[in-house]
Parts: sequence; C-alpha cells; structure tokens
Amino acid sequence: MVEIEVVDKTDNTIRLFIRGVDVSFVNTLRRLILTEIPSMAVDDVVILENSSVLNDEILVHRLGLTPLTTDLDSYNLPEECPCQSEFGCNLCRVALALNVEAVEGTRTVYSGDLVSENPDVKPVSDRICIVKLVQDQKVKLEAYARLGKGKVHAKWQPVSMCAYKFFPQIKIDGKLCDACEDCVKVCPKAVFVKVGDKIEVRNVTDCTLCEDCMDACAKDPSAVELTWDKNAFIFDIESTGALPVERLVRESLNILDKKLKSFLKNLKKVK
Amino acid sequence: MEVNVIIIPVRCFTCGSLIGDKWEDFAMRIKQGEDAGNVLDSLGMKRYCCRRMLLSHVEIIDEILKFYEETKKRETP
Ligand SMILES: [Zn+2]
Ligand SMILES: [Zn+2]
Repeated sequence: MVEIEVVDKTDNTIRLFIRGVDVSFVNTLRRLILTEIPSMAVDDVVILENSSVLNDEILVHRLGLTPLTTDLDSYNLPEECPCQSEFGCNLCRVALALNVEAVEGTRTVYSGDLVSENPDVKPVSDRICIVKLVQDQKVKLEAYARLGKGKVHAKWQPVSMCAYKFFPQIKIDGKLCDACEDCVKVCPKAVFVKVGDKIEVRNVTDCTLCEDCMDACAKDPSAVELTWDKNAFIFDIESTGALPVERLVRESLNILDKKLKSFLKNLKKVK
Repeated sequence: MEVNVIIIPVRCFTCGSLIGDKWEDFAMRIKQGEDAGNVLDSLGMKRYCCRRMLLSHVEIIDEILKFYEETKKRETP
C-alpha cells in the first residue's frame, strides 16, 4: 500500500514522505517531473529594435530562461495542437511584447515590463533584470512562449530541484555507547544530541546517510547503527514557479498512467 | 566563473533556480554593510550553487554603461 504524506510545504517547495514503493517508482516520478511535464517558456522572438549593449542572442536567451506561470489546461503542446502550424495558434502560443526606451537616463528593463496577451501566462517574478539601457537606447520585441518539455531544453523544466533519498534509520546501542560525543561532533547535519549521559537521535530526516557517525565511533562494532528503509523515501521538489508543486506531483502520475496505457496497448498488438 | 557574464544571469548555472530577481536587493544590502551570508539566507537561497552565483558576481554592464553615459553627456551640451 502506497502512503504519501506531505511533511513540509511552502509556495514553491514541498517535502513528501513516500512509503511502500521501491526506488524505480520514485525515480520514475523524479524523471517524469524533470523531463515530461510541459511548462511555458519563450521559444521564438522577433526583434524589432535592440540598441542595448547586449546583443540579440543574449537578450533572447535571457527571455527564454525567464520562468513563466503556466496554464496547463488551456494550452496544447505545439506538436499535439490541431493547428499543426509552425507559427502556432491561440491554443499553443502566447505572445509577450516588450517595448522599453530609456527616456530619462539609465534604466533597467525588468521582466515586469513584458506585456503578455494572457494574464495567466506571465513572468514568475516582476523583478528579473533583463537588460540595462542608457538614455535613448531602446528594446522593442515580440516574444512567443510555447509549452515544451524539459527533455528538449532546460528552460522548460518546471523544477529547479527534484530529488529523493532513502528514509534513514539510526539506532544507538545503549549498552555499547559511552556518550563520548564523537558522532555528535562529526555529523554534518547535527542529527545527534547529547542528553544527560546518553546520545539521542533528533533530526533523522536531515541525515544524508554519509555514515561518518559509524566511522567516528571508537567502539567495535560501532555503537551507532545507520541503515535505511529501502521502501520509504524523502522526496523534495522545488518548483520554478511555473506550476504549483502539488500539480507537479499529480501531473507526473497522470503522465505515468498515460505512458503505461500506451505501453499496454502496444503490447497487445505484439501478441 | 565565465568572463562574459556581464549582467546577473537569470538562473543558477547548476540547478536552474531563479536568481535574476534577487541581485539588486542583494547588492544594495551588501553595500549597506550587511553580512552576505545573512542576506543570502533571508533571500531563501539554500544551496551553495545558487549562493555562489550572487556572491561571486560582478555586474560588468554597469561599468560598460558608463562609457555610453559619458558619450551621451558630450553629445548634448
Ligand atoms: Zn496551435
Ligand atoms: Zn543553484
């Protein structure tokens, strides 16, 4: 029985405990989140004017890397869109216009200066520096954002971190341990605490499974026993802001479902 | 770090998290004498890959723009 527990959640990050599955399943989730969930990013740019000190390619690269909030339900992937047009249609493309001239002295062009045709698809933050202009310099362009997948380009990756680790299990043998505090000192994550004349384990989830505590222990066999549960995981996701984190988890499962169904369908053909 | 990074990169080179919107805040607070580590902590930057992006950055575009500003000044009397 799979058990998923949300332990920590902020706007852009989530920490899950996943129990009752094996590594291949959790790794599948991780890889799906990294490479298969579509998100919006600027893909094509028409530059009408650029007299800034950055050349067109750098400017466009910076626009491409700017994370955009994604409306997954209203847009199609270009390759799946019925329009089948290279340029795109209203269902597979969003236009963002940038038209800034430094009129009064030097100014910075921010992501907030981009005007999107759809208010649901806009830069995650308004304060990303795009370029700086001195008086009379001008940037005028139209950028086209499309859905895309992380396996094609990292700008379409909806996460800036997605990782898991085994659930640590630390046991201290009370008979062997003489509370010398060697493990307390060596642990980089402060997992151990000395309470009275005993060593106690405090922040098990912080443990990175480095096993330094076992090596540091002078006792033979080591009084600290560090193992991990092979069927329980601590799963961390950090979204770029393109999609809400819960949506990422749900979407990855949808994609897995779709992939398995098509696999089954093709398997039947073989038979 | 690359020599041709003349303006703060939009994202961390290593993990891809957004840093382009944090530079101005960071630079201003450093100038006011705050401790860089504390500023990075308060900006919510946990990983050392992202922290070094701000910590080691030199905004060269500011130096380049000075030449253009100076030229402009000389053009218009
Ligand atoms: Zn279309
Ligand atoms: Zn980073």
